[in-house]
Amino acid sequence: MLTSLEPLLNGILLGGLYAVIGIGLALTFGIMRQVNLAHGELMILSSYLSLVFISLLGLHPLLTLCLVFPSLFIIGYLIQTYLFNRVLGRGMEPYLMVSFGLSIILQNAMLKVFTPDARSLKTSLAIQSLDVYGLFHVPVIYLVDFTGGIVLIGLLHFFMKKSYLGWAIRASGDDLSTSKLMGVNTARVYAIAMGIAAVTAAMSGVLVGMTFTFYPHSGTQYLIVAFGVVIIGGMGSLWGTFLGGLILGVAQLMGGQFLGPGFQLLSGYLILLIVLTIRPQGLLGRK
Amino acid sequence: MRLLVLTLFLIALITLPLWGSRYVVSVVMLICLHVTIASMWNLLAGYSGLISLGQQMFIGIGGYTLAVSSMYYGFPISLSVLAGGVVSVILALVISRPVSRMRGVYFAVGTWIIAETLGITFSNWGYVRYGMGLFIQPAYKLSIPSIYYAAVILGVCSVLLVYLLLRSNLGLALMAIRDDDGASEAVGVNIFRCKLACFLISAFVTGLAAGVLYLNTIFIQPFEAFGIGWTVKLLFIVIIGGMGTVEGPVVGGIIFVLLQQFLSDYVGFNLMILGTITIATIFFAPRGIVGTFQNRFHFEFFPIRRQ
Repeated sequence: MLTSLEPLLNGILLGGLYAVIGIGLALTFGIMRQVNLAHGELMILSSYLSLVFISLLGLHPLLTLCLVFPSLFIIGYLIQTYLFNRVLGRGMEPYLMVSFGLSIILQNAMLKVFTPDARSLKTSLAIQSLDVYGLFHVPVIYLVDFTGGIVLIGLLHFFMKKSYLGWAIRASGDDLSTSKLMGVNTARVYAIAMGIAAVTAAMSGVLVGMTFTFYPHSGTQYLIVAFGVVIIGGMGSLWGTFLGGLILGVAQLMGGQFLGPGFQLLSGYLILLIVLTIRPQGLLGRK
Repeated sequence: MRLLVLTLFLIALITLPLWGSRYVVSVVMLICLHVTIASMWNLLAGYSGLISLGQQMFIGIGGYTLAVSSMYYGFPISLSVLAGGVVSVILALVISRPVSRMRGVYFAVGTWIIAETLGITFSNWGYVRYGMGLFIQPAYKLSIPSIYYAAVILGVCSVLLVYLLLRSNLGLALMAIRDDDGASEAVGVNIFRCKLACFLISAFVTGLAAGVLYLNTIFIQPFEAFGIGWTVKLLFIVIIGGMGTVEGPVVGGIIFVLLQQFLSDYVGFNLMILGTITIATIFFAPRGIVGTFQNRFHFEFFPIRRQ
């Protein structure tokens, strides 16, 4: 009886990782009302960057975050400044398509540079598992993922609520013209917000790299996960994103456990489609 | 003048297998099929405001219907291609209610996820040999010209269909919705039915085109048929050509297939180049080649506005 709780528990832990994957998308949507389709590629780019730093400097994957975070922040800042800001205010389509074009470019550039082979960020954590009273096994890496997710979302929440920059970002999201009148440089605020979103992509990329194997084209798969999380939770709501991650994680692992491994992805997508149909604005989202 | 150019163009298309080399025939065939599918995507994205990232669901369904009905049930090829279109319409009808509740980004993502869901379902389905895919054996017997003519008919008819649709009452309603959906609803335009009509038409024709496409490819596999790669192509074709113009998908389709042929030596770089061209077009010529041309010279080959 209790062993059937194993996928539930692991699903919750995996959900923490999924929440980090989705949070960058939720952030940029909440502020700019735009969806960055290259988010998955930014994630996988971070995984590869971390791999490069590991092989160059011999660091632990989690320590490479010190280098991957600033790199991704700069990349995010630059793509928002030079690509996305140019098409803001022209409706939804140009932004979608520019980010889609960017994702194709990044994906194929990574394919050229890093070859299509499967890679992973190897750590001793990946093979250990905790034995909880002999009832169920919890992979240690899932605990790391979950903790990483909670910490990052907590920090982000704190930053958005307490810091001046966080206020400026939220103000631009709530009322663009008023915040401009109050002297907020919205183009720069958007660039910083995209930088922060890229940092969350860095976090999720490194965690995903430590947990699973990744390929240059893995970004697409995680973009769908990110969408799933954000859609279930509701666009633009931080804690909704967390809830979305948990629901998707549990749905996937329960589906995989009871219907067979081929249904792991499928059950996640089905939950997603059901939420999209019944409550298109997400479970915690505002209309 | 316009009619003369069109007639010459059609004669060239029809007689091509008599004087063109095998290679030219197959390239023109690919162009026709891409023009067909892109026109149908353009009908949704450019005129109905429905940016679908899941058009590949109809490509996959059309292709698989062709494979199953011609191989498992021994139906003649032409009937199987038609069945592909019909099953696509049924799929579109089934999902029309839920997707009609999704707006903007949600619609884009929702359709994409439906396509992915179908891809995973087919790769877990023993009836269609899982992810290994199917060889469409009856297609071996077909000659290249017969597939070519099917492609040409689809290409010409789809462009004509979009043109006539836009000149009809439906087109008028669509443009009213695009310009102001609230006002058009107030004067009695049924937004849901207009968009549904476009959605079903585009599903039907895309399903047919997919059938002809897989007669040429012969091999169908779930992750390729239901893959997001199709949408990448469609986006490229329609954006380069000019979204919301009848001629756009034609120009874009020609450029895309020719570029693909030229760039086939540079595997890996060709998609990067396509992505760069797409972004550059959005920045510098947001209305695409045809749209920019129309703005400058005030000339439309297929005028859809009434003078």
